[in-house]
Amino acid sequence: MAANNTLGYIIIDGSEALIRGAALVTDAKGFPVDFVRTEPLRPDQLSRILYGESFGKYAKEKLVLESLLDAVETDPQLWICNDPDILAPLRANSRIKSVLLEESPHVPLDAAGHIETTADLGVFLIQANTNGAPFRAEFPGGVKPDEIQQTAAILTEAAQTMNILEPFARVEKALNFLASGVR
Amino acid sequence: MGLRDFLAGLIPRHVDVYTIDDFSIEAPETVSMIKRVETVRMKPEISCEASKIYDAGEITERLKARAVNVKISGKKVTSKTYRIKRYVKEDVKTHRHKLAGKPKVSNMTKQIQAVPLELSNVIKSMKKRPDSLRNEAVLACYGPIVEGGVLKLALNKQRGTLLVWYKPGSRQLKAKYVYLIRRLGLGGKPEWRWE
Repeated sequence: MAANNTLGYIIIDGSEALIRGAALVTDAKGFPVDFVRTEPLRPDQLSRILYGESFGKYAKEKLVLESLLDAVETDPQLWICNDPDILAPLRANSRIKSVLLEESPHVPLDAAGHIETTADLGVFLIQANTNGAPFRAEFPGGVKPDEIQQTAAILTEAAQTMNILEPFARVEKALNFLASGVR
Repeated sequence: MGLRDFLAGLIPRHVDVYTIDDFSIEAPETVSMIKRVETVRMKPEISCEASKIYDAGEITERLKARAVNVKISGKKVTSKTYRIKRYVKEDVKTHRHKLAGKPKVSNMTKQIQAVPLELSNVIKSMKKRPDSLRNEAVLACYGPIVEGGVLKLALNKQRGTLLVWYKPGSRQLKAKYVYLIRRLGLGGKPEWRWE
């Protein structure tokens, strides 16, 4: 990994009635070095009526995502998200490389670090692990080829010391734990 | 003495005085003193404009009434125009509705550091197992895990996952996989092996 060998994860979930978000920055092992989360956002009916159908996207981008990015103290070398709604705003607001990462059912590529294009614009297969299927990596519009290469290199190096997608489940678990009110 | 003799005595000359018995004078024309007055309905057409203006919490209700010109008996009678303004001031409370704003953000790094990593069994996706495990029955494989930074490991038997707690502040980065094995032929308990 680069000198700043950290990965950042952004999780924003919920419905229009309740939206919550969290940002986790981990070290190369996946151990948390920075974690911020929002209080659950419960917009009332009137707000949802006034903003209309765009409310969910607005709330994710402008209310939750910007709040999280403002609060995070450690800038990771790469932001990873799992929601297409926030991929482009994440890149624009953080000015840090960003990628939407998911598991894919694809057969493993030749070797770790390999990149393969797909039929979808801005979507690539990246073989980060030596074992298992490649990741489906979606990049924000207008991404440059060298940024894709750099992202693949970061993921490949991180995959040597941690399970890259595991933090999503951990953050989800932590949010549920905090929401339960048990301390 | 009758009237005739009396009158004859007052007048010095001979006057023939006749008795008028026949008052055949044409009766005078009489006119009724009750005047007929032609009446014209004075009720004018009135146009009303009423509008309600909401302005800074005050309702101003303006009612404007205006009489139109009315002609009576060929003479143009211009009625005066009256403009009636009625302002109704009421205490109308306005409410500033607070729309959804940015949520409060809390830093909870300490709390999440206590949450273990949960690793799935990757034995099915392993391309090949280490040579040192050739004679072992490999039950599960978890990783990569930085062995030198591990504080505690626990197997979640229900989910088949491995829970990993790391020591805070550990700078170890050499990662390995940990295998759950059972030695063939010995019937012993499963054991963990770092490779």
